[in-house]
Amino acid sequence: MLTDQELDEVYTQACYTMTEVGEARTPVFLARLALLLMKEVGDSRRIRSAIEAARVDVST
Amino acid sequence: MAAVPEYHEYFAYRHYPLRPPRIVDGADPVRHPVAIVGGGPIGLALALGLARHGVRSVLVEADDTVTYGSRAACISRRSLEMLDQLGVARDVLDQALAWTAGTSYYRDVPVYRLQMPMDENQRFPPMVNLQQCMCEQVLADRAEALADRIDIRWQTKLASMAQRDDGVELALETAEGNYRLNADWVVACDGARSAVRQALGLRFSGTTYDGTYIIVDIHLESDYPTERRAWFDPPSNPGSTILMHKQPRDIWRVDYQLRDDEDPQEAVKPENVLPRVRSHLEWIGERDDWRPVWISAYRANCLTLDSYRHGRVLFAGDAAHLVPIFGVRGMNSGIDDAHNLAWKLAAVVQGKARDRLLDSYSAERVFAARENIRHASKSTEFMAPPSAAFKLMREAALGLATKDPFFATLINPRQTSAITFADSPLNAADSDALPAGPVPGAVLAECPVESRQGSQHLTALLGMGYTLLSLTASDPRPTLAGWPLTGVWIASRQTSGADAWDATGRLFPLYGAAPAAFYLVRPDGHVAGRWATLKPQSLRAALGRALD
Repeated sequence: MLTDQELDEVYTQACYTMTEVGEARTPVFLARLALLLMKEVGDSRRIRSAIEAARVDVST
Repeated sequence: MAAVPEYHEYFAYRHYPLRPPRIVDGADPVRHPVAIVGGGPIGLALALGLARHGVRSVLVEADDTVTYGSRAACISRRSLEMLDQLGVARDVLDQALAWTAGTSYYRDVPVYRLQMPMDENQRFPPMVNLQQCMCEQVLADRAEALADRIDIRWQTKLASMAQRDDGVELALETAEGNYRLNADWVVACDGARSAVRQALGLRFSGTTYDGTYIIVDIHLESDYPTERRAWFDPPSNPGSTILMHKQPRDIWRVDYQLRDDEDPQEAVKPENVLPRVRSHLEWIGERDDWRPVWISAYRANCLTLDSYRHGRVLFAGDAAHLVPIFGVRGMNSGIDDAHNLAWKLAAVVQGKARDRLLDSYSAERVFAARENIRHASKSTEFMAPPSAAFKLMREAALGLATKDPFFATLINPRQTSAITFADSPLNAADSDALPAGPVPGAVLAECPVESRQGSQHLTALLGMGYTLLSLTASDPRPTLAGWPLTGVWIASRQTSGADAWDATGRLFPLYGAAPAAFYLVRPDGHVAGRWATLKPQSLRAALGRALD
């Protein structure tokens, strides 16, 4: 489990990276990041549950 | 910036007269050891700190009152410790509102609960709210009462200055004529637009954020408790971020962020501000009448000078550095500057230390400013996202935090906390490996003790200069005759001859005294060195890092 400090740091790194990538290409960056993290998690049940959690409240 | 037309004073301001000195050939004939430019909270705190150490100062202030409007609003526990040394903590606490908690909301859902560090060892609350002007008045009252050591020149403006090897000459302007004033040392406490900084041609380096916040003080009678409340994207003001802090005398401080497409000049006008405040107050259920007291616009800056010593001119507070308001590090870090500088400048003026001690002031406080900027930048990135990416990630974090507390830590406003000077030139090597306790460069951890005077707190036992805290079971105190320090012997239990004892049993473990520990503490409360066994040569070497 990430510590608060580690979560904070990787969150900020993601923000800066997306700022560099630019708004237009950010969806592609996030999609690639999602795929890489799926590989790291390596557990389809947990990935499916994360996809469901990410989906909640997103539609407006 | 812009006061609203119906601006009301927070309290009855005292207006101080112009008191020009005797002038001989266009100059104040007195040679002053220290001249302080700027009579805000930092200048006043520094004058009081110098006076406490027996050093006279002259303080030059352009206005005839303390500051107008809404500026700093929160005073930290660490600042209260410093204000206590200046003899004003009680006056501040009597007026201030203490708080320990806060709530952050996303839309209408609470997503983060802030708990400030508070436990049974503490002497002061982690934070109190008090308008800067009222804090300044407390300091000014105290300084005016010490007229033999603090000479405040109200209604006196710095026009120019010239630095020589042996001192600084200030050219001062008043309504009754101009005069020159000579001082051995000058400290610039004259704020963000420092005239001293401009006179020396010095520039800040760092970052300025684009996002603008509106600051509104309103008068509203409400029973809602004192805590920090933050709303992200509230239904009352979709897309905005709003902060609310309760202040004494039924004043509420409201801060809200403007959208990127809004013109700050227009947005700060009452006809644009008041509907938003009204909408929010109605939404949170505040039904009573209210009126605005102050409106201004604010933009976050992360700026500092690279050095706070330029020959015989020193910089403190906003004259030295600007940090974003999120996390309340502005006035608090300035008070810390004054606290760090007062004993060092006093020691140099009194010939107890060489002027290189002032270089340690610059090194420590530039380091502190960079730490403050680093933490405040994190707060700012969340409170005023600097790019679309930060905004997008914030929306994601806030949304997930409504369901999963794991993400709530990202919402932590990261309030100010004491800074450890791990690399200070004043630190002795930490070679004894005590199992616990503050390391060299850190501030003392608070703890109650019993003494012959009754219950006290550890930080209240410190002397005026360096203090040696000896924590031992029952051995007699070390012999310190002839040493330039105050010896405080704290025994593990009530012992004849001990200054205090660890009645709660919490102090010794907290300080790694198993069975003994010796802490050399600087006049500003930072640890200079610590040992399991005390050797005179170690103590002498540690003191020699600061004093001659």
